[in-house]
Amino acid sequence: MKIDTNIKLPLSFILFALIAFVVAQIILFFSSGELVAGQFRQPDIWMGAHFLLLGFAVMIAMGAMYQLVPVAFLTPIWSQTFGFIQFFVTAIGVTAFAILLGVKPNIAVYGGAVVVIGVLMFILQMVITISKQEKRNMMTYFVMGAISCFFLTIIAGFLLAWNIAFGSINQHNTILATHVLLGVAGWFTLLIFGFSYKLVPMFSLSHGFSMKWAKPAFVTYVVGLISLILSFWLNNGLIQTIGWFIVMIGFLFFFFDVKEILAKRVKKKLDKSFAFAILAIFIGLGIHVVAFVVSLIGISDQATWSWLIFLYIMGWIVFSILGYLNKIVPVLWWTYKYADHVGKEKVPLLKDMINERWNLILFSLFIICVLGLVLSALLQLGILVWIFQGLLTITTLLYTLAVIRILFV
Amino acid sequence: MSLENKVGAALFEVIDPELGVNIMDLGLVYGIEADEDNNVVITMTLTTPGCPMHDSIKNGVTYRVKQIEEVHEVEVNIIWEPAWSPAKMSDKAKAMLGFA
Repeated sequence: MKIDTNIKLPLSFILFALIAFVVAQIILFFSSGELVAGQFRQPDIWMGAHFLLLGFAVMIAMGAMYQLVPVAFLTPIWSQTFGFIQFFVTAIGVTAFAILLGVKPNIAVYGGAVVVIGVLMFILQMVITISKQEKRNMMTYFVMGAISCFFLTIIAGFLLAWNIAFGSINQHNTILATHVLLGVAGWFTLLIFGFSYKLVPMFSLSHGFSMKWAKPAFVTYVVGLISLILSFWLNNGLIQTIGWFIVMIGFLFFFFDVKEILAKRVKKKLDKSFAFAILAIFIGLGIHVVAFVVSLIGISDQATWSWLIFLYIMGWIVFSILGYLNKIVPVLWWTYKYADHVGKEKVPLLKDMINERWNLILFSLFIICVLGLVLSALLQLGILVWIFQGLLTITTLLYTLAVIRILFV
Repeated sequence: MSLENKVGAALFEVIDPELGVNIMDLGLVYGIEADEDNNVVITMTLTTPGCPMHDSIKNGVTYRVKQIEEVHEVEVNIIWEPAWSPAKMSDKAKAMLGFA
């Protein structure tokens, strides 16, 4: 069975995403005043956030899935031509939507409609592809759970854009909370969980692990998400605290499995990029603990929760993506450029395609910038927010150039 | 030297690009058989099912073995049972991966 994907498909998504990543950071740099004030619900921040989450994180996730689903699920992509059309529709939609959110939010719904079409095309593509998998496993449930959350996120997001344009739907804030939760914790977290069960053993060369916490992790995390959504709609603080507790336990179950996989690894010295993705798991778990504690002691101010969401997005989702991307792109490019040369001539190893020293510097800078940004914002030190966001923008640009450099090896 | 031994020696030159270790020391090759017409059948595995390097390594093995003059046809069978385990690695591979 031929399961190879045309490299141009995942690469189109990844290159678009890297540009969006830099654009998002530039926009956030010029909006650092709003960041200091904890004013996240402003057009500029919406624009930056959607370039970051839709333009970067979602597009990377889509590109990575076009590459990983065939190899991990042993089933070819349903239609690669449809995939290219989906790329153009989504790229145009995301760009239009993010810009309109920043400059003319009252008509952003039209860009949003194009995004919805692009995402629905992607979901259709993945559901048909994955449904052809011969034998279901836990990874299938995580990925299908993630896709379901993605569908609901995009519907909730469209309702929000509709409301900004026409204002006919009540419960705007409840829909917003549902949209954010299903997007960052539902779609991205379940997706990273699912693929980590493939990628962590693969990159650490681990064998003989049990994955015994995978099912409890999936069930618990989904129950936690449902509890949180219920709490938003019922406006019930107790259910919300219970919900944060349950998702924290779900994350902890996943963490137990990763710990076992790493304990049973053959490759003792981990690559910097992969170690960074593993660090993101610790950060994700830490933020879940903090979210539960903050909810338990009854802190409900918007700035605290906004910065927690920011930390979750950057420290867990974006750091995971940045770490894995540095492993996925070399595999992609190596397969395209050198796969037919194995056994014929000396070909570079994957580690020859990346600069580990550079990665160490870049990943350290990302950690310093994100921590510095959050601390200086919480302490209301405007100049430091501006400096750290500026440094984050430069680091993002350097990271992007480092990934693009792989394509010239 | 028998043809099987020549093929085995050639396979030390096929490197797993992720690990930087050749497939013989990794213990990925389970069997090499040659018939009287010098058709070679190689039975091997990979470190993990769904490895993105599946086709690359299989094609590399085919190409390298075909370079041996006496070899007529080459067939590479990838199997998953028995599954690969770290115990199949040579001491050299274990040392290279820090697993010794």
